[in-house]
Amino acid sequence: MPDEEVLEEGVLNPVKPEIQDPLLQALLADEPAAAPVAVDTPQEQPQAIEPEADEVDCVVIGLGAGGAPLLARLAMAGLKVVALEAGPWHTPEKDFATDEKAQDFLFWNDERLAAGHNPLAMGKNNSGTGVGGSTLHYTAYTPRPLPDDLHIRRDFGQGEDWPVSYEELAPYYEEVEQFIGVSGPTPYPWGPARRKGYPLAPLPLNSAAQLMVRGAEKMGIRTSPAANAALSARYYQEGVGWREACTNRGFCQAGCSNGAKSSMDVTFIPLAVKHGADIRPNSFVTEIERDARGYVTGVVYTQNGEQKRQRCRHLFLCGGSVETPRLLMLNELALTSGQVGRNLMAHPGLQVWGTFAEEVRPNKGIPGGLISQDTHRPAGADFVGGYLLQSIGVMPVTFAGQVARGRKLWGQPLRDYMRQYNHIAGINILGDCLPHADNFMELAEEKDARGLPKPRLHFTAQENEQRMNAHAEKIMRGIWEAAGATDIWAFQRYAHVIGTARMGLSGDDAVVDANGRAFDVPNLYISDNSTFPSALSVNPALTIMALSLRTADKFLESQQRRDVLRKPTP
Amino acid sequence: MSVPTYPSGTVRALLATPHVSEATRTAVQARLDAPAYPPQFLAPETYALLEAVAARLFPQPDRPEQPIPLAPAVDQRLTEGRADGWRYDALPPDREAYRLGLGGIQEIAQAQFQTDFTALSAEQQDTVLQALAAATPPGKTWETLDAGRFFEEMLAELTETYYAHPLAQEEIGYVGMADLPAWTKIGLNEREEREPA
Repeated sequence: MPDEEVLEEGVLNPVKPEIQDPLLQALLADEPAAAPVAVDTPQEQPQAIEPEADEVDCVVIGLGAGGAPLLARLAMAGLKVVALEAGPWHTPEKDFATDEKAQDFLFWNDERLAAGHNPLAMGKNNSGTGVGGSTLHYTAYTPRPLPDDLHIRRDFGQGEDWPVSYEELAPYYEEVEQFIGVSGPTPYPWGPARRKGYPLAPLPLNSAAQLMVRGAEKMGIRTSPAANAALSARYYQEGVGWREACTNRGFCQAGCSNGAKSSMDVTFIPLAVKHGADIRPNSFVTEIERDARGYVTGVVYTQNGEQKRQRCRHLFLCGGSVETPRLLMLNELALTSGQVGRNLMAHPGLQVWGTFAEEVRPNKGIPGGLISQDTHRPAGADFVGGYLLQSIGVMPVTFAGQVARGRKLWGQPLRDYMRQYNHIAGINILGDCLPHADNFMELAEEKDARGLPKPRLHFTAQENEQRMNAHAEKIMRGIWEAAGATDIWAFQRYAHVIGTARMGLSGDDAVVDANGRAFDVPNLYISDNSTFPSALSVNPALTIMALSLRTADKFLESQQRRDVLRKPTP
Repeated sequence: MSVPTYPSGTVRALLATPHVSEATRTAVQARLDAPAYPPQFLAPETYALLEAVAARLFPQPDRPEQPIPLAPAVDQRLTEGRADGWRYDALPPDREAYRLGLGGIQEIAQAQFQTDFTALSAEQQDTVLQALAAATPPGKTWETLDAGRFFEEMLAELTETYYAHPLAQEEIGYVGMADLPAWTKIGLNEREEREPA
């Protein structure tokens, strides 16, 4: 298993500063007297402040699952940290309505262009904004990947392996689960035995979950209550106090109003604040500044219409799989591998819906109540990888939009079908995806309201994804028929954009190393789902958080090594 | 199964109760109380055309006096230049897409019936929309504008507007907005007292 010893600093760094000794390099980089580098940005230069006076240890861009955990970790280590989040800081108890339209502000609504044969729906499908990022609207479904998820190339000869093993991530999974409060089954039926069970019992099963149990039993498919990052009982949260249990609103994807869902704004962010992190909402970063050696020296951002600069010794880029590569491309940063924007993957998220004689009322309860990972490596499959099965609840506006797009119903037939809303239940998959040359993100000519080029995402499901969908549709239709559904239909969709700044062993074919550190830029780290070398057959949020903590620890270790040798500053 | 029907007034009755949070009440009530809307972005005749299209995509014979208005949300969004985070690369920006697409619907009406869309009978209008939904309608517009994607986008926007309205939510028996203090009966055939049967 590769580790940081292999990824020796400097060796894989294409920037090649004159001094090759990594420790000496690091010392020089942090020595204030050695860095009086002129930065050519006269118009935003703060007049009254000395260039170095406002320098902080770390700037973190983006406060979702990638940024918030490491922000807390760095603040707890005593570092001076500033977090820049593009969106606002909400007060959910007061601001969040149980109304889908009214909650539109949770989504990253700047327009992205969706190209390819399976254009990716963005916005509410996968992109958030605000202090908490996309965790403000994730469903809280937090299964761990299974160990072989990280070795798709080893096992199938396709895709990419991770430079980090499951065993190395396991303690971080455990830490995240315990800290944010994941409700789930103990023992967990799939994967290796765990040192600790989930801290809370599973959330209650809603109607869709009960129906899936019924159908799957008849099909001989094992199911279990799923792991969800929402509290099945009151839970004590450092930095917050007691968080209340989930009230089964079923509105996870439109924002949790009582703090039961473990989004970043009620978990890692309050912890970071308690330890002195400086959180700046409504701060949209446009420029990443560098010195002559290629080291990041600071960022320029717009906050409430005003342009500002924040200087920093280290930068953590955590903007997600679209904004992270966009910032790199706009700033021509860390591009030498040629991989920024490439390897774009999206999870096959095929849904199957059916109508039941019983009352379902699909808006109630945790949406993804049930899971099966029996299809993780299905016997006799004609595709690489696998998928998980999940029962799904749904809010009415989201469902109606999918009916319109997927079933092409309109007029009276659409109104008639929607009148059965209280009798409708769904199941879906979350499947692995292979990278492909046709799937990538680029900057378009067309500009957005900020005057920046819009991202264009090309996505076409390849043969592997198509075969997986076909396999899954057959199984899900079988489950729903066995459960007693009529009028069964499938809706093809893809969730979670992944892989556009991938990690790897070498700067030749990866943007960051296993610790999240950019090969090209020694004081730049990336922490979000853009670094995933493969898509995994589970939802990404838990792994993003685990990797975030690991990146922080690896960074802090490297700092301690330097601290031993650094002259004490007065 | 037969299509269920729910009593009228369920959402409206619940809005006044402590089952609905202040933020939720404000959002839902605003839709019930929405004043008459004069178009700001689309030209009056184009707006009238959009209203006529919406009336076929969501026929509301049960609300002859006051149908749930669908065109205002589109016009308002286009006026403000708001987006929902993405757009099919195959389509031009939303303002242009709506202008072109609505003009294209007029073209289909002319090609099929030599008459404006708004002057057609309901059945004829449905024929026009069927041609659009089938993605291969007649007309010069559709040589450059992707008919299938345009129809999908327009239908999805009108659909989401319709089902965000409290009267449409009453129609489908949805009272999810009344979620305080909690839902405790969430399993099959379980119904909270405040949920309509």
